[in-house]
Amino acid sequence: MRKAGAKVVKAKTKRALNVLITYCILIVVAFVFFFPCLWLILASFSKSGSIYSFDGFFPKEYGFDAFKSLFTDTVMYNYPRWFLNTLFIAVMSCVLGTLLTILTAYCMSRFRFRSRKAMMKATLVLGMFPSFMGTIAVYLIMTQFGLINQQWGLILIYSAQAPMGYMVQKGFFDTIPYSIDEAARIDGASNFTVFVKFILPLSKPMLVYTALTSFTWPWSDFILPKMLLIDKDLYTVAVGLMSLGETEFARFAAGSIFIAIPIIVLYFCLVKYMINGMSAGAVKE
Amino acid sequence: MKKTLPALISHIAVILALIIVMGVLGIIAAGIAADGNEKFTGELERNVTLHILENDTAKEQGYLKELLDAFNSEYAEYGITAVDANMDQYNDLEKNGPFGYGPDVLYQANDAIMKYVDGKHILPLPVEKLECAESIGEKAWDAYRATAGGESYTFGVPVNIQQPLLYYRQDLLPENWETEWDENDNGVPDMIENWSALYRFSKQIREESGGTKYGYMKSLNDGYFASGYFFSYGGYVFGGEDGKDTRDVGFSKNDGYKGGKIIRQLATVMNLECTEDTITRNSYSRMAQGTYFATMTTPDVYTMFIKEMVLAGYSEKYALENLKTVDVPALPVSGDLEDESQGFKDMTVMGGVNGYAISSYTKAPNASLAFVNFATSYKMINRRCELLGISPARSDIAEELGGLNRVINDNLARGTIYVMPSVRALAQVWTPLQTYCAKLATDALSGTGLYVTDEAIKQGVANVDKQIYDAIHTLGG
Repeated sequence: MRKAGAKVVKAKTKRALNVLITYCILIVVAFVFFFPCLWLILASFSKSGSIYSFDGFFPKEYGFDAFKSLFTDTVMYNYPRWFLNTLFIAVMSCVLGTLLTILTAYCMSRFRFRSRKAMMKATLVLGMFPSFMGTIAVYLIMTQFGLINQQWGLILIYSAQAPMGYMVQKGFFDTIPYSIDEAARIDGASNFTVFVKFILPLSKPMLVYTALTSFTWPWSDFILPKMLLIDKDLYTVAVGLMSLGETEFARFAAGSIFIAIPIIVLYFCLVKYMINGMSAGAVKE
Repeated sequence: MKKTLPALISHIAVILALIIVMGVLGIIAAGIAADGNEKFTGELERNVTLHILENDTAKEQGYLKELLDAFNSEYAEYGITAVDANMDQYNDLEKNGPFGYGPDVLYQANDAIMKYVDGKHILPLPVEKLECAESIGEKAWDAYRATAGGESYTFGVPVNIQQPLLYYRQDLLPENWETEWDENDNGVPDMIENWSALYRFSKQIREESGGTKYGYMKSLNDGYFASGYFFSYGGYVFGGEDGKDTRDVGFSKNDGYKGGKIIRQLATVMNLECTEDTITRNSYSRMAQGTYFATMTTPDVYTMFIKEMVLAGYSEKYALENLKTVDVPALPVSGDLEDESQGFKDMTVMGGVNGYAISSYTKAPNASLAFVNFATSYKMINRRCELLGISPARSDIAEELGGLNRVINDNLARGTIYVMPSVRALAQVWTPLQTYCAKLATDALSGTGLYVTDEAIKQGVANVDKQIYDAIHTLGG
């Protein structure tokens, strides 16, 4: 009896110790990830604007000066314009990219045609190469099309590259029973009707997931806009923030914080669909 | 017979090669001359828009707007309009120009502009036609000259002479400086007159504050500023008559190594931040807070120091009265900051000449030349000095303004400003030099004893020369 009691106590202690260690590790990991964000947020409220006037890690005095100058002092650094540019490029790329990705995935999932497997393998391999590998080639091609210093040039590239990651969406479409398509076709529906009226309504989570990922890439990309945009009034936020003077740190921090807001809002609004979408494409039923 | 045939063939080959080389050089020279001469007909293009790339300070302080407005009203009858190119101030003409996205007129440093010469991205200018031609000294023009086929061409118009200056806080001078720190009784504190006194003063501040305050502080790894110590003792970047012979790298030549000794000694009164770029970035706020007494940087950042002092709680009037800029102090002839017995010599610093150039891709070269002429006129350069505090390349204005402007102009004329060589290979200089200077400073602060003797320092500088040479020529450059 006493032995059994001792065993229970031992097991309880062991479990408590496990929980304690797990929490300690989680707290350390959370701190490692959270601290830079906290520091950036506090730095954006620094009154002096310079990181070298900080009292240790954090600013001595706080204020909204950096946020105020971000939106009012636009002679040299036109943040509102950059923000709108980024929004335009991201929204357009999101719409076109989502459309192309979904169509590509649907074709690969539903139709059987020659070279289908070869194309799938080729896109899989090509998708493994980092996108910046082709920057010089992209630059030269864009000069030939006269699309340098044009927002539509960027939108075109983002939209055209988006279908390369169609695999998740294809996985999702594979899970939708083919019998639905057959039933619709028996009733006289065309391929387009099947896609629009039957498949798309069933694919809301995947659409949301695709739209979100298509939006976040152009929203935070630096390399392409830096290479293709020359006029300062066409800059995106990422490029614009990098052009800030070296003593403008608080403004840089404020700009970085503000640019995260739309993504955070979108994330909280659509997180439910996003998780459904991510898990839906992962398992073939 | 066996020997004469190859000899004959080789003679013919040599003659052919010479003819081809002469021909190519002739074509290049003729091409450049034709480019310049044919394009500048003197007849202004009508109803054109010129895109002007200026630096950020000119834009920020409102000078660019004034310049554009004045030019546009002057040339309204021709329908010529100049607008801000609205590009990054370091926009690469080489990359964007050929595709039609570059500016028509650009304002950049001489080394940035002259790198475009090889690819014919900028036009040689008929500078003798400009109003400023006679007012600018030969040394400033030299920064924009290049030869092709034995002919000399000028590719830019000097506006502003850049040289490092010593910035210091007058209110942080010791109260008794007139009795204790003015050995020659000339009414100028010794610590801003010579490096030995500045070194002693820095040592004193650091010791008295327990390492919380410093005298002179600077990122010693910054090649642009550090190279001056080597130049002052006979070192140079590239040899040759025009300083562009990249086969002769000369930081270690003559007594150049003494510059390394000075850097090592200066590091002992600083902290480890002097081995990297931190001080370059934090000097504005640290000077404002009174943590540093002095630093060395270019004249164009004066307003940033004032801005930081105001943020630190001083009134603008107080900041303007107490933040002083002077010519760089003199160096001890001995090459040892603790040995003043041999007296002092003027320091030679690396500098540059910023100016205007015209893109080869402009559709309105004559209108662009008119803009350059207007922007470098007496009236506009005077206004530029007033608003931006630049040191003009025009000696007439420098004379009138006096003070540091005259000193900087004189420094360029007498050679204590070593103008950045206008060659592409200059890009290979910075990393080896930076690494070596950082090593010297680290050695002084960590006591590793790698560069204690003159021989070790000499060897180190010789290695820098070799690394630069290898970087330029290993692949047959």
